[in-house]
This record gives sequence, structure tokens and C-alpha cells, in this order.
Amino acid sequence: MTFGGQSRSLWTAIAFIPILLVAIAALQQRIDAQTSTIAKEQEELLVRSGRVAKNLSLGYDSLLADVYWTRAVQYYGGRVGLPGATFDLLWPLLDVTTTLDSHLMPAYRFGAIFLSEQGEVGAGRPDLAIELVKRGIAANPGEWRLQTDLGFLYYWRVRDYKNAAAAYWQASKNPAAPVWAKLMAARIAQKGGSIETSRMIWSELYESTKDPNVKKIAAQQLLSLKAQDDQAHLDKLAAEYAKRFGHDPASIQDMVAAGLLTGVRRSRRIRLRARARREIAFKSKQSYGHRAARRSRSPLDPQSRRPFARFLVTSRGSRGNENPLQ
Amino acid sequence: MSALTAVVAINTFREAVRDRVLYNLVLFALVMIGAAILVGQISIGIDRLVIINLGLSAISLFGLVMAVFIGVGLVYKEIEKRTLYSLLAKPIGRQQFLVGKYAGLLLTLAVNTALMTIGLAGALFYVGRPFMRSDLSILVAVYLILLELALVTALALFFSCFSTPMLSTLFTLGIYLTGSFAADLREVGDLTRSPLLKGFMRALYYLLPNFHNFNAIAVAAHGETIPFSLVAQNTLYACAYVTVVLLAAAAVFSRRNLK
Repeated sequence: MTFGGQSRSLWTAIAFIPILLVAIAALQQRIDAQTSTIAKEQEELLVRSGRVAKNLSLGYDSLLADVYWTRAVQYYGGRVGLPGATFDLLWPLLDVTTTLDSHLMPAYRFGAIFLSEQGEVGAGRPDLAIELVKRGIAANPGEWRLQTDLGFLYYWRVRDYKNAAAAYWQASKNPAAPVWAKLMAARIAQKGGSIETSRMIWSELYESTKDPNVKKIAAQQLLSLKAQDDQAHLDKLAAEYAKRFGHDPASIQDMVAAGLLTGVRRSRRIRLRARARREIAFKSKQSYGHRAARRSRSPLDPQSRRPFARFLVTSRGSRGNENPLQ
Repeated sequence: MSALTAVVAINTFREAVRDRVLYNLVLFALVMIGAAILVGQISIGIDRLVIINLGLSAISLFGLVMAVFIGVGLVYKEIEKRTLYSLLAKPIGRQQFLVGKYAGLLLTLAVNTALMTIGLAGALFYVGRPFMRSDLSILVAVYLILLELALVTALALFFSCFSTPMLSTLFTLGIYLTGSFAADLREVGDLTRSPLLKGFMRALYYLLPNFHNFNAIAVAAHGETIPFSLVAQNTLYACAYVTVVLLAAAAVFSRRNLK
């Protein structure tokens, strides 16, 4: 074949390149369709150890961490919301990512969400999420956001109010942290039953804040805590009352009357009723006293079975200290 | 393939052997022997898995290094040494020369791969495991690696037609790496909300050589069967892509001024 002939046949062949490219794309589609099921079965992470991956990265560990983080996002994104989706490789991917680059904040923050979400939208492993965030805190102690993330996980995912409050409190110690970290710490401590911790945080907040709204909230919460204290005290007294009289008190006044509760300012209606009762008692004292004398029993005997007399005895001395907060 | 092309191919193979290219087999043998001895000492139950994984990975890696570093010098070296002029003065076309060079390197890689496969079989035999029918998937995986190397060689040859070895190496490795992550490119496009970017990524996915297609190492290591239809499709894919790249190389080389 001559050179010219060869050249012509070459250019004719080159004209077929677009057809070949279309054929390549079609073949790729067929290969994809066939390998998609195999790929799902064979999906695995060859390097699961972050330390090994770091050694293999030859100094490009930060870049490799970005690659692993991208893969983690794609892995999560490709499964989230699918019926029966599992996220078995999520933790190894995040583990390798954060080992390769311990300062990669998105990996800790978003990774914790991916891990802690339940059902088809996450791995349902709040324990691993907490471990991941704790690892982030250890590597980045100045990041208050990780502390609040930890608080969030404890509060919402595992309902561990004590640790949640501690995490938010720890976050609030960072000068860069917003004031709500302290608010959250106080609220969660209150919700979790740590009244003293909550009172301490609210008091500290009340003293330190310059924001009038926050100050007002803190004052309200301190009053609320006081109310909780009082409620607990009343419950205790009611139990004491029930123990003493064999039945629960019908009202606060019963406990006041029983002398268990002091310092309660009674309402005007109750005060008037009490005064009327005293007057009746006073008026009937003589005749009743006479009858009692006949039976050799004091009309003011607390052991008397007559309730009115008992009321007179037990209600004595209940007035005087009228501070409602005591 | 014409007789002239075959002559070029055989001489390319001879040249590679004279250049002690096959000495890499010594290194491969050392790796396999070391792995076969060590794995049994430090691990339990995964000796076969490690030997297959390591062996197939080494075959792929050694072959890749050879394909790239020899491929990028195939044409450039001939021009630099001026041996191309005396060759083209004979009744041989530039396209025949290119195809001959390509076939010669492919033959070298095939021989190298075949010898390494024998080494892998020896290592598997050493770890005390009888060969089974499922081991055929190892041979299929080796064949797919060879297809991958054929594609890499074509790319290296293409760049060698108009660029220096250094740049050709960078271009070839760049395309190899991008092609290995082609599926990720498509997924990135799917995750974006921009239809333009999605379309671009999808086009890129189909345009780039998808080297991930040829990776069956994990499947072979687990002794699973690779469907024949998949092997056939991959063969067609590799042939079509190699044809496109060689045509492009021929187009570039035929217009190159060698004066």
C-alpha cells in the first residue's frame, strides 16, 4: 500500500472514532448494570486501620483524609433513606478519616450525626458518635462546638442529662462559646434532676451576664428552681402528715393546721374563717369546759377525738413567720 | 497484523528483554516467597487471601509500572536515537510501526504477567492448599489485569507520539488515576443539584477509560465466579478503547514532522 493510500485509510478509520466512543459508552452501561449487584455484595474497605492508612499515605495524610471523608459522605448519601439500609462501613471510614487528619472538623460533627441517627437515616450508633466526638475534643480542645455536639448527643440520643449538662458546661467555659451553651447546661441539669448544679449554673449566669434578657431568664429559672425545692419539701411534709394522721392532707391548710408547715400566709377568707372558729370556740369554751371537767378531761387535750379541739391545739403558733420563700 | 508489524513487535520484545525489563520478576518472586513464609507465621486463616490479594496487586502494579515507563519511551526513544529514520526509510508505514511497537510491549507485558502468575500459583501451592475450580477466577482476574495494561500501554504510546517521556508519564498516570476513580466522578455529579455539572460528570465518566472495570482482585480472592458476559464486555470495552487511542496516536504520529 502506498503512503497516500495508508493515510487515506487512516483518516477513514479515524472517522469511526465517534462511533467507537458511543459503543464504549454503551458497553460501560452494560458493565455497570452487571457489576452493580456484585459491587454491593463485595463492598468492603481494604484499609480499615487509620494508622496503616496514615503510614501508606506517604505524608499526604491530609489529602487522603479528604478523600476518605468524601467517600464517607458518598457512602452515607448513597444509602440514607433506602429501605433496610445499613451503614456498616461508616464507622471504619470515619475512623480512618479522623486518624489521618485529626483536625477535620466536618468529619467529627457531621460524622457524629450520621452515626447517631436511627433507622434508615443513620447507623443508630450513638455510642460510636460519642466516641468520635470525644476523640475530636481530645485532638481539638479549643473547639467549643464539639463540646456542644457532645452535649447534644448525650441529651437527645442517650438521654444522659448529667453528662449532657457537663458537656455544655465545659463548652461554656470557652470564651468564644455563645451564652446559650451555659443556658443549655443549666436547663439540662434542671431537667435531669440536678437541682443544685442547675442552681449553681443559673446563679453564675445571673451574676455574669450583661444581657438583660438572659438575666431575666436566669432569675425566672432560679425562682422555678425554688418552686421545685418547695414542691419537694411539701411532698415530704405531706408524707409526714399521712404518716401521722393516716390519710393525705386535703389542702395546705391541713398541714399548716397540723403544725408541719410554718410561715404560710393564709388567705383572707381562711383567716376570717379561722377567726370565726376561734370566736365560736371561745364562746363554747365555757360550756364545753364544764362538760369536759365533768368527764375529767381537758378541752384542749390534743388526744381528744374531737377535731375542732385538735384544730385549736395544732394551729397554735402557726402564724408569725410570713416569708413566702421560706 | 502484517508481517512487518510482527517484525517490529518481536524486536520491541527483544529490546525489552535485553534491557533487563524482566528482572522485575526477581523482585516479584521475592515478594511472593516472603509473603508465603511470613503470612503463615503472623496470621490465621487468611494466608490464601493475602497471597492472592498480594500476588494480583503485584502483577497489576509491576505491569502498570512497566507499561507506563516503557510505553512513554517507545516512540520518543526511537526519535532521540534516530533509529526511526532508518526504519521509516524501509517499506513500513508509520501506523504499522506504531502498532508493531504497541504489540511488542503488549507481548512483553503478557510474558511478564504469565510468569508472575506462575509465581503466584507456586506461592499458593507453598501455603499448602490444593487448587480448586474456583481458582479459575484468579486467571480471569489476571486476564482483566492484562486488559488494563493494554489500555495503559495504548495511552502511554499515544502521549509518547508528541510529548517527552516525563510529561507522557504524568499524563498517563493522571488518566490512570482519574479513570480508576471514574465511578466517584459520576457519583459526585449525581450528588450535585446542578444539571450542567451532572451532565458534565456523566460525560466525563463515559469518556475516560474506566479502569475500575478491570479490578476483580477482591472477587478472585474470595473465590467467587466472574460472569463470562462481564469478561466479554470488558474485552470489547478494552478493544474499542485501545482502537480509539491507537487511531488517535496514528493520526498524531502521521502528521508529525520528523525532520
